[in-house]
Amino acid sequence: MNNFRIELAEILEVDGVEKDELLSSFECWDSLTILSIIALAGENYNVTLSAADVNNSNTVGGLEELIKSKRR
Amino acid sequence: MVDKKAFVLVTGASSGIGRQIAIRLSSTCNVVLNGRDMERLLTTKEKCSNTFEQVIFPMDLSNINGLEDQLSVFIREKNIEIFQFVHCAGYMKMIPLKMISIENINNTFAVNVISAALIIKVLINRKHNNAALKSAVMISSNISNFGAKAFSVYGASKSALDGFTRSLAVELAPKVRINSVLPGAIRTEMTEAVFADMETIQRMELTYPLGLGNTNDIFEIVAFLLSDKARWITGQQFTIDGGRSINISG
Repeated sequence: MNNFRIELAEILEVDGVEKDELLSSFECWDSLTILSIIALAGENYNVTLSAADVNNSNTVGGLEELIKSKRR
Repeated sequence: MVDKKAFVLVTGASSGIGRQIAIRLSSTCNVVLNGRDMERLLTTKEKCSNTFEQVIFPMDLSNINGLEDQLSVFIREKNIEIFQFVHCAGYMKMIPLKMISIENINNTFAVNVISAALIIKVLINRKHNNAALKSAVMISSNISNFGAKAFSVYGASKSALDGFTRSLAVELAPKVRINSVLPGAIRTEMTEAVFADMETIQRMELTYPLGLGNTNDIFEIVAFLLSDKARWITGQQFTIDGGRSINISG
């Protein structure tokens, strides 16, 4: 998961992301960004996420934890 | 010379639409089962009819480089002829443009389009298959003529497959007929991500005037198109999607 924040920042089209930042606060937060996160989780972490999962995770850290927990 | 046994080749026979088509076809003819997972292919074989024969051609169709040779060798070693072909192997990932990679594009086109082209090339060859191919059906998708978010690569590959089908239909006539079937969303292993939650399934059901379909709905048209009943049909797209793509109600 070392690169996760870098990959997430890439998707959110920003230089970097912080643990407590709200996902919905990013300017390019939309359905395609959610689909991109689902694709990232599937491709790089072998984790299946739904759009609801992503939305409910709320923050950068929440999303990180969600993917970590599903990897186990 | 003793006649060689005639087979229908089904790619993607280890799951989903391909598995069901292989199983249903096995009660009327010999079937070559292709897929990349031997265990799942054996499960398909177990479900096939005992009346006819099934042989397994294990090959990952994303490895297009060795495909022609391996198929030719397989046909020779099994001493068979392939007279019908159904291309069900498919690679689908929902990927928005910003997440697209060369690897994803290459994989998608290799499995969905290029492998079909190379297989047909072998099957019409006199030396490799005694030019035995009579009819082929490509499993495309109803996205082929439309568009959807995160489906650009998959959609383009299916449009390519249908374009390929039309030109080959002309090039190979009158000896070979080739058509494509464009299913709507059918719940299989490949599309599991599309059917991820109940809310999505319910929303999708509303957009299908005839409700959601299943793999048997696709088998029926494939069997018809393969058969001589479809002798005057070639190069066509058949959309089998419960009316999804003609539904413009809000």
